[in-house]
Amino acid sequence: MSQALKRYIIVCGITVAVFLILAALLASAMGDGEDSAGIEGVQVSSDASAVLSEGTDYGFDSFARANRGTAKLYSGDYYGYRYPLVSRDAVSVVVTDTTAIVFIPESVSSALGIDIQDKAFQSAFEEMLVAIDSASANGGQALKKVEPAYLFTGESEVTLDGFTFRYGQEVEESVYYTTVFNEGLSVPTKSDPGDDAAAAKKAALYAESFKLLPADQVNITGKAVGLDALAHFFSTLDWRPLWVSIKATAIAMIFIFILGLLAAWATIRMSNRWKGIVDTILTIPMVLPPTVCGFLLMLLFGPSTGFGRWLIAHGVDLVFTFPAVVISCFVVAFPLMYRTARGAFESIDTNMLDAARTLGWKESRIFRTLMMPLTWPSIAAGTVLAFARSMGEFGATLFFAGNYAGVTQTIPIAIYFDWMAGDKDAAIFWVGVVILISFLVILFVNTYSARTQKWKKPAAGPAGRADKSYGSESR
Amino acid sequence: MKKSFKRFLIPALCMAIVAAFALAGCGGSQPASSSAADNGSADAVELNVFAANSLQKALPEVQALYTEQTGVTFADTQFEASGTLVTKLQEGATCDVLITASKKTMDNAAENIDEATRVDMFTNDLVVCVKEGADIKVASIEDLATNDAIESIAIGDPNVVPAGKYAVQCFESAGLVTYDEADDGTIENVKWDPSIEGKINAGADKVGTVASYVSEGTCTVGLVYTSDIFRYDGIEVAYTTPADSHKTILYPGAVVKDSANAEAAADFIKFCLENADAQKIFSEYGFELVG
Repeated sequence: MSQALKRYIIVCGITVAVFLILAALLASAMGDGEDSAGIEGVQVSSDASAVLSEGTDYGFDSFARANRGTAKLYSGDYYGYRYPLVSRDAVSVVVTDTTAIVFIPESVSSALGIDIQDKAFQSAFEEMLVAIDSASANGGQALKKVEPAYLFTGESEVTLDGFTFRYGQEVEESVYYTTVFNEGLSVPTKSDPGDDAAAAKKAALYAESFKLLPADQVNITGKAVGLDALAHFFSTLDWRPLWVSIKATAIAMIFIFILGLLAAWATIRMSNRWKGIVDTILTIPMVLPPTVCGFLLMLLFGPSTGFGRWLIAHGVDLVFTFPAVVISCFVVAFPLMYRTARGAFESIDTNMLDAARTLGWKESRIFRTLMMPLTWPSIAAGTVLAFARSMGEFGATLFFAGNYAGVTQTIPIAIYFDWMAGDKDAAIFWVGVVILISFLVILFVNTYSARTQKWKKPAAGPAGRADKSYGSESR
Repeated sequence: MKKSFKRFLIPALCMAIVAAFALAGCGGSQPASSSAADNGSADAVELNVFAANSLQKALPEVQALYTEQTGVTFADTQFEASGTLVTKLQEGATCDVLITASKKTMDNAAENIDEATRVDMFTNDLVVCVKEGADIKVASIEDLATNDAIESIAIGDPNVVPAGKYAVQCFESAGLVTYDEADDGTIENVKWDPSIEGKINAGADKVGTVASYVSEGTCTVGLVYTSDIFRYDGIEVAYTTPADSHKTILYPGAVVKDSANAEAAADFIKFCLENADAQKIFSEYGFELVG
């Protein structure tokens, strides 16, 4: 026994090692490879919130993009189409089709000793701004694409193309905005939307704001690479699909194994009249599409039917809960176990069973010590099939149990929803996990079967002779 | 024979009972249960939110902020197409807050929500998106039909996904499709103009799927919201559809009728609309507050 176990452990170890090597390769390839607009000497933090440049003694911090503003009335009054500022004396950049208006408050420029109209300052500033703007663009507009003219100002009001841009407006208490409005258009009120809001919205493409700080106060967290990226990935990954899948499959397999064997044993002893009907009922979930199974389960347990409503009224509310996952896994995988076990039991030589009965053996003993060991390879195969089906169940689970992370989100569901939400790394990782788990389980069952089938080999055969176990060639 | 059958049955039943207990133990954290104490103490409140798919990145950040400030936690928020959410709600799913992406879907849920709490929260824009770096120029909706470089156009299923419906309205204003609209908003008898029929892929189950297709390259272009451009890597705007080519895109939000935490739910909606930090998050993701 220890031989096979040792072998199994070694193979497991190799598999896990291979998996880890693949993961490490994945880690080194991880990341978008996006850089800070490729500008020399400019360093943008990985979350695009800060930027530093070698040539300047200041940096940007708490950078935030406002891709849309709001024209909401506040206390019944209109304050223009406004973009939020990160703080009271933040620098604000409003980007239009033609111009990027950069508001730098007096207090900030004098504290840093900057002359905002100095050309050298402006070009260094623009470099940093373009870098962090690209990093935060995420598919939206960017300064690199728009290539506007830059307008640096310390004034709090600028008029451009008929629109007035006002910096530092305090609308709610201690909340500051850059606002846009047009003097000539009608102002929105509670009852009338007016023209100004729609026009002001189009005046600018977007806005951004950030704090201008001395360089030593700015912290740049670089992009994690290689093993760090992997560690970061694993620490931020939601591990719950793994636990949900394992728990649900394990519990379902207990029921499937016991009830599958019981059902197979009971069915072969039935009269032919009942056998056909019972067999059909027990096999149908295997044939039906999983979504149909899920739909039927939902009808059965949900509030759409009278029966479901009766169950709910008596406290059995299963839709969108963890037990629903187990039930879905059970329903779709049970027929596999049942059919395989039944086929195996039917193929046993009945003479053996009768001989055992003449010896006075009870049925349970016959089952335990004769039928099970004789049919073990088939039962193992049935278990593996049922496990695989149960682990990979998607349609019925999604319908009946829904997609609630940590409660009903199994790995297949997580794969689908992660991929569709754009989180491809997580989806690929879960695919790998499923492959690994399935591989290990099948390996285990095969190893265990091989061990229990040792009795089929000849007691002392010459080395190299083929054994007589079922399925192998005779010499 | 009967006796031995019973003997075998008993251990089997015992194992089944043990497994049932294990099941019950694992079934403790059900989404349907809100652990609110009778006096509704804020620490024990857990809200169930059903929100339009486009809010999938923005709303969790606002929820994290809200949890930090008030201690109210959130069960896994369901971000699906508005039509799917309304169907689930009507099937009896537990929910406290519903936010959809169109007026019509919220109207369809009228029986399940508390009308007094209904408020228009955001607005958005419908855009034509392409894979980042793809060199495809779109200057009007008609270009989608005439530009041969565009081989496939992904849109949401108009009967389930509001973005799909706005897209179809957009195509109609360009004369590329005709359809009938039933009273409950269902779109029937859709007839595409031959110049575009072969390109349209209208099967996406939510707007995020459309964005996924485009970012993977399965489809050349897709019609999504501006906010989806920011939440997906790898797609960018090719053309912003004019506001008058489709019905106004509005996101109504409401508290669900018979919610166990109606007050907390209403507070959360208020937070989304009035809190300055929440507004910064929505603004970053491209949602314009109107409420």
